[in-house]
Amino acid sequence: MRSKLKRMIQLGMAAVLVMPAVVLADESENIIKYRQGVMKAIGGHMSATSLIVRGKVSYKDDLKDHVRALKVLTSDIPGLFPEDSDFGETRAKAEVWEKRDEFVKAAETSQQSVIDLLSAVESGKPDAITASFKQVGEGCKGCHKDFREKDD
Amino acid sequence: MRYILLALLLSQFCITAQAGQQGLIEKGEYLVRAAGCVSCHTDPDNKKAYLAGGRSLDTPFGIFYSPNITSDKKHGVGSWSDEDFENALRHGESPNGSHYYPVFPYTSYTKLKTGDVKAIAAYLRSVKPVAKASREHDIPWYLFRWTIAIWKWLYFDEGAFTKVANMDVIQNRGAYLVAIGHCTECHTPRDNKGVLDEARYLAGTKNGPEGESVPNITPDRDTGIGKWSNSDMVYFLETGALPDGDYTGSLMAEVVDDGTRYLTKADREAIAKYLLTLAPVENQSFKKQKKQKKKSVDEW
Repeated sequence: MRSKLKRMIQLGMAAVLVMPAVVLADESENIIKYRQGVMKAIGGHMSATSLIVRGKVSYKDDLKDHVRALKVLTSDIPGLFPEDSDFGETRAKAEVWEKRDEFVKAAETSQQSVIDLLSAVESGKPDAITASFKQVGEGCKGCHKDFREKDD
Repeated sequence: MRYILLALLLSQFCITAQAGQQGLIEKGEYLVRAAGCVSCHTDPDNKKAYLAGGRSLDTPFGIFYSPNITSDKKHGVGSWSDEDFENALRHGESPNGSHYYPVFPYTSYTKLKTGDVKAIAAYLRSVKPVAKASREHDIPWYLFRWTIAIWKWLYFDEGAFTKVANMDVIQNRGAYLVAIGHCTECHTPRDNKGVLDEARYLAGTKNGPEGESVPNITPDRDTGIGKWSNSDMVYFLETGALPDGDYTGSLMAEVVDDGTRYLTKADREAIAKYLLTLAPVENQSFKKQKKQKKKSVDEW
């Protein structure tokens, strides 16, 4: 009887110790999937915006919708990279967490550039739109340069 | 009166010579951008020390540190003659006659036109001097400089750029820019001796510099850039924007930021036209993807 109890406690202990790692890993993988989904959505709107801004397509009336979407999607990029969300299939570099201040600052700059783009779109000035769109691209590239590994 | 005229003529001559020199320096600056010198020769953590070296390059042969190429007379290239530049860029030899490791891409710079070497020399001699000593490479003991002589003898194809037959003026301009931009040094796979596999020219590799994967930039539709339009490429070289809305990162972002964005639109168009009219090469290793980066769970 006593040994049975001991055994149960042992199992319980083992479960308690294993659980967090499993849950964490599972959660991490889901966060990664979610983050990639949001990034892909940003990419989709960036691609659409780019084609309109560069005059390759004539969906000018949709421009504002794409930029609004970008504004929403970029409102909290650091939130997509919580602590411990780096195990699983991710290209996020360790620097995202190790150089958190720089990362957050870069994300804020990107977010601001999207807000500026929206103002430019609302003003309707083509030069301002082109210039501020390029700034948004600078933000994407800057972060990918320092915080993302190459594809493999 | 005669003297005044003479003085005028003389000053005119000086001004013209000066303007000529200024033009040469500007041309050199453009070429230094086009040839991608800046990213490697500038420490990314200290951008103020422009061209003063110290950037590390992690290769399968060890860690190399780029040298100082500012006009500092002691640590840089301030005392180099045009001939020294010619020997370094086109033949891989330093002014004291020793061989450079081919991590310095003279295998590509050998294609530079002599006039372009002179312009690069003029520009580098005009760059603000930074008194910073170059750092020793961190490489295996057996990689003596003289071993490079053998490597060069076996594998180094010296020689100026020759026009590609069947290609027009624009494509040839693109070919020259791709050559001196030394795209091939990363985008073409290498064997274990560090020799480029020319049959797979620009077809990408999973094992590029710093252990990173480098994409196929031949116009293969599945594994390369066959679905890109010319204007996609022109815009990419200016901004780093990929056609799907993603933006390039890592080393290529540096190439764009420090190099290709400074090119004229005509030159970016030339590169696009050249790349997109190459024969497509399929790269099997890009057909399946994704590695797993797992942690902790397996340890339990």
